[in-house]
Amino acid sequence: MDALHSTRRRVTAAFALAASAGLVLSACSGGPGDGASADDDPIVIGVSLPLTGDFSEPGKGVERGYEAWAQIVNEQGGLLGRQVELKILDDQSNADRVVSDYESLIAQDGVDLVFGPFSTRLVVPSARVAQEYGMLFVEPAGAAAEVFEQGFENLFYAAPAVANDHYNYLADYLLSLPEGERPKTAAVASMDDPFAQGTAYGLRDKLEEGGVEILVDEVYPPNTTDFSVIAAKIAESKADVVIGGSQYQDGVNLIIALQQLDYQPKVAAFSTAPTNPEFASAIGNQTEGILSPTGWSETASYPSNVEFVEQYTEIFGNPPAEDEANAYTTGQVVAAAVEAVGCAEQGECQQQLIDWLHENTVETVVGPLSWDEAGRPSGAHLIQQWVDGEIKIVLPDDAKEADFLIPKPAW
Amino acid sequence: MSGSLLLQSVILGVLLGGLYALLAAGLTLYFGIMRVVMIAHSAFLILAAYLAWWFNRETGLDPMLSLVVTVPVFFLAGFLMQRLLVSRLKPLTLTMMSVLLTFAIALIIEGALGFIFTGTQRRIQLPYAGDSLNVFGAQVPVVKLVAFVLAAFALLSLYLLLKYTRFGRALRATIQHPEAARLVGIDTDRTAGYGFGLGLATAAIGGTALSLDATIYPSLHWHWIGPLMAIIVVGGLGSIPGAAIAAMLLGISQSLLQLPLGATWAQTVFYVALFATLMFRPQGFFGGRLAQRF
Repeated sequence: MDALHSTRRRVTAAFALAASAGLVLSACSGGPGDGASADDDPIVIGVSLPLTGDFSEPGKGVERGYEAWAQIVNEQGGLLGRQVELKILDDQSNADRVVSDYESLIAQDGVDLVFGPFSTRLVVPSARVAQEYGMLFVEPAGAAAEVFEQGFENLFYAAPAVANDHYNYLADYLLSLPEGERPKTAAVASMDDPFAQGTAYGLRDKLEEGGVEILVDEVYPPNTTDFSVIAAKIAESKADVVIGGSQYQDGVNLIIALQQLDYQPKVAAFSTAPTNPEFASAIGNQTEGILSPTGWSETASYPSNVEFVEQYTEIFGNPPAEDEANAYTTGQVVAAAVEAVGCAEQGECQQQLIDWLHENTVETVVGPLSWDEAGRPSGAHLIQQWVDGEIKIVLPDDAKEADFLIPKPAW
Repeated sequence: MSGSLLLQSVILGVLLGGLYALLAAGLTLYFGIMRVVMIAHSAFLILAAYLAWWFNRETGLDPMLSLVVTVPVFFLAGFLMQRLLVSRLKPLTLTMMSVLLTFAIALIIEGALGFIFTGTQRRIQLPYAGDSLNVFGAQVPVVKLVAFVLAAFALLSLYLLLKYTRFGRALRATIQHPEAARLVGIDTDRTAGYGFGLGLATAAIGGTALSLDATIYPSLHWHWIGPLMAIIVVGGLGSIPGAAIAAMLLGISQSLLQLPLGATWAQTVFYVALFATLMFRPQGFFGGRLAQRF
């Protein structure tokens, strides 16, 4: 409710601003096509986000990230000397709404730029709209393989790696261990979701190629709340490695169900859930050794990241999380292209922005990013592990904050 | 598939079935008393789970102690809900309109939970959350056992209450034949109100049991109402023992079917059972004529 209201207020404010700007312009310039007055206009950026419905939690996170970006950019004098202004609509986590939202933002409101929404399921339909209008489409969430198989030429994923590559450092590390320490068997359980499966199956397939035997390979629907039998199957297999393609509640419930059955793997890797701030309080003190890939770390030392964490904390009173950081990265990527090309409007400018991003590397809060022709970023995720009650980067070696614990302590 | 995995799954199925049984008992009670389809039952369940979580967070005490407050409060809420809302519906369209009414209540509860506690997923952290007992090589999770015992105890109390007390007899009379009950001097309106309160009290206990070993979030109730509705139809609408037996059987089936079929197909067992019941024995497998047997 709150977010809805504030969105509405913001939209109203944006209209009021646009209307008064229009008045002022027509009063003093007396005609359209006046170059000087256009330079004072704010750059309007259209976004549709799931502020209500299934994805409202991450949706609001992305909203905060975009807002932080706009505020920080404006404090530093804006883009091309113009202020930026966000126009955020609520798509209610609905794929039809997201399409009509972007249609109206681009065609009716004539926004200068667009940012992507949250989640693969909303990214694909909205990217198609942006493609039709020839708009640059940088998105903060939508790492699943299918996003990049739609033939989009305008799409860029603003994070270090696609889902399949999240665990690359971990796979390389495990397979490089000497014969005696190398895990021989693995068990996989993943939510029936393109992102979750992408991460888990990326690791599964790399381990399998390296000679690790996959003993259990389970898929569960997103509404599963009871994980006891899946846990029983995994426990029965006594696999060395357990891989969870999880979001949040499923990961927590599965880990606790595994603990209840006294299953002790050497390596436990779960996507997303362990990086959630609620994670530790949900499963108590038994987090030690749990691994998770992460696209962003609060403590990473990239210059813009230090600045982002500091300023975000100042604005919102608490440090950002990964959703906020991904949204901020999106802003950084678009800003870099706009500053380099020197334009921010619909029309030819958009293609120039797209071409620039295909050829260049952008420094962001998640490190330097560059993309292939389908918009896939070329990096891998950092691997974090719970060590001494804190989640710390353990791989790759040049970024690590703690040593990799293997075998993991009993949970 | 080994014998130990089978034993493990049966144990987990029984523990799950016990919780289903308690939750379904309340739901079938409303239908028995008033022909009301109570969509909001599972929303009250999640509400009770949130209250248990909140109680635990604020006081640090065991969440089960919150029952001292939630059970009477839910009983009162149920009584008032029946007296002030449900009894105002026209008798002719009662069943259908009760779906709309209770659907609205479910949405209000979900919205209020999201508003007050946000959509963040919560879990009570118990010192014994990961512990288990070893029984013949199978692991029995302590929290699930505690939830099961709580559910079994509540179910047994409910049964004894209905079977052997004056109020229980009055309630059963109201269920079986309201007019005759009125003729022998039972205040059926008031009794129906108490019955509704009793139903919500079971939701308080069920929700607290659920909160011990579940990650909760405001929209979680939608995952529960479908299977519960299926259970009470299979068990025979209005029959508490029928609901309990059906819950136990379907809970165990769901657990066992996960072994060969995986989680996605195993959860269809509720709906397959529902369709089979409607096709071959619409009055339910254990209930006989509407709620006449106890």
